[in-house]
Amino acid sequence: MIAPQPPAADHFDYDTALAACAVRDVVALRRLYEHAAPYLLGVAMRIVRDRATAEDVLHDAFVKVWNHAHTFDPARGAARGWLFSLVRHQALNVVRDRLRLVLPDEEMAQAIENDTALAAAAGGAHAGETRVMMSRLSICLDELDTPKRDSILYAYVDGCSHGEIAARLGAPLGSVKAWVRRGLQTLKECMQ
Amino acid sequence: MSGESDRPGDHRDGWDALDDLASGYVIGTLSMAQRENIARRMSAEPQLRDRIDYWESRLHPMTAAAEPLAPSSRLWGRIAKSIGHGQQPSQSDARGAIGWWHSLALWRGIALGATACSLLLATLLGLRAFAPPQQPRYVVVLAAPQDKTPGWLIQASSARNLRLIPLGVQAAPPDRALQFWTKADSWSGPVSLGLVRADQSLDVALDRLPTLQANQLFEITLEPATGSPVGRPTGPVLYIGRAVVVR
Repeated sequence: MIAPQPPAADHFDYDTALAACAVRDVVALRRLYEHAAPYLLGVAMRIVRDRATAEDVLHDAFVKVWNHAHTFDPARGAARGWLFSLVRHQALNVVRDRLRLVLPDEEMAQAIENDTALAAAAGGAHAGETRVMMSRLSICLDELDTPKRDSILYAYVDGCSHGEIAARLGAPLGSVKAWVRRGLQTLKECMQ
Repeated sequence: MSGESDRPGDHRDGWDALDDLASGYVIGTLSMAQRENIARRMSAEPQLRDRIDYWESRLHPMTAAAEPLAPSSRLWGRIAKSIGHGQQPSQSDARGAIGWWHSLALWRGIALGATACSLLLATLLGLRAFAPPQQPRYVVVLAAPQDKTPGWLIQASSARNLRLIPLGVQAAPPDRALQFWTKADSWSGPVSLGLVRADQSLDVALDRLPTLQANQLFEITLEPATGSPVGRPTGPVLYIGRAVVVR
């Protein structure tokens, strides 16, 4: 079971900070960094699993914030989400790109990944122990059966590919793909 | 659809191909090639973009599962340097550094205000003749190397401030960026002036560079989305030009 915990207090005004960054206010960027960098570094670290790489991700992400803050559209979602998504995708690009640099061919990459994932499986906390902040999402996640919930947490929080999840759970790749997809379908229904 | 969605009302809460793409992108299981494909499509397909926004906001609370981690003291300095604000003291005392930065901004503001006032005064009094020896003004037209089509205009109001103005150029592809560089004849290599957007003018202060000189080279190259990783141009030159003195 996921142990829900109260939402982390985060009263920082991300919208105002991004608006100020959009007009090149470096003090605002610094404040945003001072507040959010530890959370963002935590998110990046889980995905890239290497301290120096995680800091590189954060560096690139904050340079992007500086250059692209004006593209943030409050009508499309929360500023906090925009920032965290930017960091997550930066980190995901790094881990997905690593493999492609070595093996441009997608199927070969998948095959190798399935093997290397077995080795990587030893590390990492059990997804079931992961604490997720109290929210509609956490209630919906709790309603999923364990393999689906673990698959989704391994993918989203740890940046695991299907192959890596299969290795961690000791399950066939096909089952993992189905768990992730069906888990997401159930989440969507639950969160309507 | 699949297994557990056999409850009534499913059609209303349907799942479609866009959900497969968007949720896979957001949760992160897609390959790099698939991720790039989606990043490309996103700008042209508002429906896909909306669905990605939907999944981003629904799954966002899971980011709280990652334990916060204090960044190293050097990280902010690296970021500040990369965005052209590298004139900061070491971050041994972050709080102190913020205070210092505040006061720098304050002093810059005062200095700019004072400059503006004296310029205004000089103009009002018609004292052009008494102005210090006139600073040369520069103009640069950046043109495409192949067909010489003008793409950007640089106006330099002083030897320390540039304004880069796009003349209706094409935006960079979604996974690429336009990077602005300069090099004077005596320098060993070009220096980045930052990433630029095809739909936006950009003011650049040449804080850390020698003053602008005649014949100084400017160029815009196509680089990875976060800019050249090696500090010098790696992609093709899209626009190039040299500074010309206007009297």
